Amino acid sequence: MLRLLSFAVFLATWWGAALLAGGEKLPPPPAVLAAIVTEANSGALFFNLGVTLARVALAFTLAMTLGAAIGYLMGRVRLADRLGDPWLILLLNLPALVVIVLAYIWAGLTEVAAIAAIAINKLPLAVVTVREGARALDTALDEMATVFAIPRWRAFRHVILPQLAPYIAAAARSGLSLVWKIVLVAELLGRPNGVGFEIGVAFQLFAA
Amino acid sequence: MLVDFKFALDAGEVGVFVGPSGCGKSTMLKIVAGLDHDYQGRVARPAGARIGMVFQEPRLLPWRSVDDNVRLAAPKADEQTLSALFAILELTAHRNHFPGELSLGLARRVALARAFAIEPDFLILDEPLTSLDDALVARLRDQITTLVDGRSVTTLLVTHDVDDAIRLGDRLFLLSPRPARIFAELPIRTPRRVRGEAEIAAIRADIVRRTNGNRIERDAS
Repeated sequence: MLRLLSFAVFLATWWGAALLAGGEKLPPPPAVLAAIVTEANSGALFFNLGVTLARVALAFTLAMTLGAAIGYLMGRVRLADRLGDPWLILLLNLPALVVIVLAYIWAGLTEVAAIAAIAINKLPLAVVTVREGARALDTALDEMATVFAIPRWRAFRHVILPQLAPYIAAAARSGLSLVWKIVLVAELLGRPNGVGFEIGVAFQLFAA
Repeated sequence: MLVDFKFALDAGEVGVFVGPSGCGKSTMLKIVAGLDHDYQGRVARPAGARIGMVFQEPRLLPWRSVDDNVRLAAPKADEQTLSALFAILELTAHRNHFPGELSLGLARRVALARAFAIEPDFLILDEPLTSLDDALVARLRDQITTLVDGRSVTTLLVTHDVDDAIRLGDRLFLLSPRPARIFAELPIRTPRRVRGEAEIAAIRADIVRRTNGNRIERDAS
């Protein structure tokens, strides 16, 4: 109920601002709704949205899988942490735009380049979060698993994974929103379809 | 931390280490259990021995039920063995509870159930009776006796409580404060079940005498 109220306040603010600024700069909600309906009817909306979401899903899965594995390794093995840390700092501080541009230059304006660039942007954040989780693992439970000679895979599944779950969930949550934001930039710069590409086209025509 | 530490247990025997808190008993257990490799010396465990261990804290998985905690350590245990074990430890009603719902006494018993469920060749108990109330200690001690005697498993138990040591052990090792050293070894010939209060009192007096003797000797040197 409170959420609904909050959303209503948002709509009202938007509408009020649109009236003040004029429809050219900030179209009011009904105009936007009409545009959505038109795009949906032509099929373009679902096509572009679908293409973008597919890229999000691919890049996200790739980054999370790799990131969780690397993060776990770095949290558990000191040597891996020492070796990986400089790379991690580099990747963490590399601007998304730089990664995307470099990926397109090196691999061409291809789908692979786009997905890889998006995944590389997300990867270090997943590594950092999961590494934190791996560092916080309870050694007392590890000892228990060792004494009772619980096989590695079973111990990982029943002892380690439940402890990592909150960290993986946190990485996934922040990751999904990040990937969604970056995928648009990648599309804008070098893909012939998707939500980002459409925004780019509209921007060039300067039509909101 | 530990110096000049040498002891051996016969198969099926319950060895008890008695010593003051913080003298390094838990470290010694970790070494024996193969968890601590930072030592100089030699530990001989029976080849391929299954080890069951009860840590000072129960160390249960909070996200698994009592039943699953035990089954995870002992995947081969059949239902009949498990229900008998849970019955002895009075845990039958708690099988579907989660560790967070249990008192320390109950959690300790789950840890015991887990250690016995694997039908260990070698059982290690680290202060299994500490910080529980007296009535519970007596019950739990009886339960441990029942289980140990029923399976005749070689057991190593560590405690700071002389009474628990005398009632549970076949062979007592008395430890000095840090750096820990075994200053006396005391075999008890009478089986656990038939030890009378008079005998227990006599052994206790003997231990007190030896402990004081050790203290005077240390102070003199």
